Amino acid sequence: MTRDSDLGGTGRVRLARLAAQVIARTEGVTATTGPARRWQTVGAGQRIDGVLAVEDVRGRVDLDLHLVVGWPPQMPLEQLGALIRGRLRSAADAAGVGARLGAVSVAFEDVLAEIESA
Amino acid sequence: MSDADKTTRATPSAAKRAAATGGPAAPEPDDDAELPDELGRTTIGEGVVTKVAGLAAREVQGVHDLGGGTARAVGSVTQKVGLGDAFNQGVSVEAGAKEAAVDLTLVIDYGESIPRVATAVRDQVIKRVEFITGLKVIEVNITVNDLYFPGDDDSDEAARVA
Repeated sequence: MTRDSDLGGTGRVRLARLAAQVIARTEGVTATTGPARRWQTVGAGQRIDGVLAVEDVRGRVDLDLHLVVGWPPQMPLEQLGALIRGRLRSAADAAGVGARLGAVSVAFEDVLAEIESA
Repeated sequence: MSDADKTTRATPSAAKRAAATGGPAAPEPDDDAELPDELGRTTIGEGVVTKVAGLAAREVQGVHDLGGGTARAVGSVTQKVGLGDAFNQGVSVEAGAKEAAVDLTLVIDYGESIPRVATAVRDQVIKRVEFITGLKVIEVNITVNDLYFPGDDDSDEAARVA
């Protein structure tokens, strides 16, 4: 497997950053790096938490988004995942990198109760 | 909802697939085999269903805590060192691709009706798990392990202080 840090594609980092922005704008979810901070994209002097971006040989970038959702979720997780995926595709199109965006997988890793975040 | 937006409880990784194949993944031999992976999928982590069930149970009036005595004692220690999750204590979930079965161990406030609380917990857990995860809850088994009396948490030492 190619390590993130070995990939120089700026499109990869740009799409990962776009994903992070979409997550930040979506109410009730936050990105998580997971155990041992393994879910993050590193490149171009940046570290993007909760987003794993992999560029294939054709220049297509697949993204895995690892999320924690606040309690109680306001919509089914399936619907929330589709919402985030749709927003990311729109953002990528608007930024002119939509053609490079491959699969966007959304993984809900945990639920965060209010008392835990306090 | 498009076909691309289906939810699975497996933990597929686009990163792993892309790295391994250099392109789109081969379909998996299960209910998700028809998924068009180009658009991605939504997955729900192993602990999420358990936590949803635990949090849902705690929303019901009359539920003081979850877990048996030992679980709560061990849980209080592991949580202090950052290893445990209080919201998973007393909750056991068996989840498949489409259905889930939930086992709960409850401590109920003294004076509450145990049948009323148990019914309310069952309803709330089914409502929350089905809405949030899309899984059909086929059973919620409840064990009432203890009753909580007000003052149970007060220590004798504190009472001796003038």
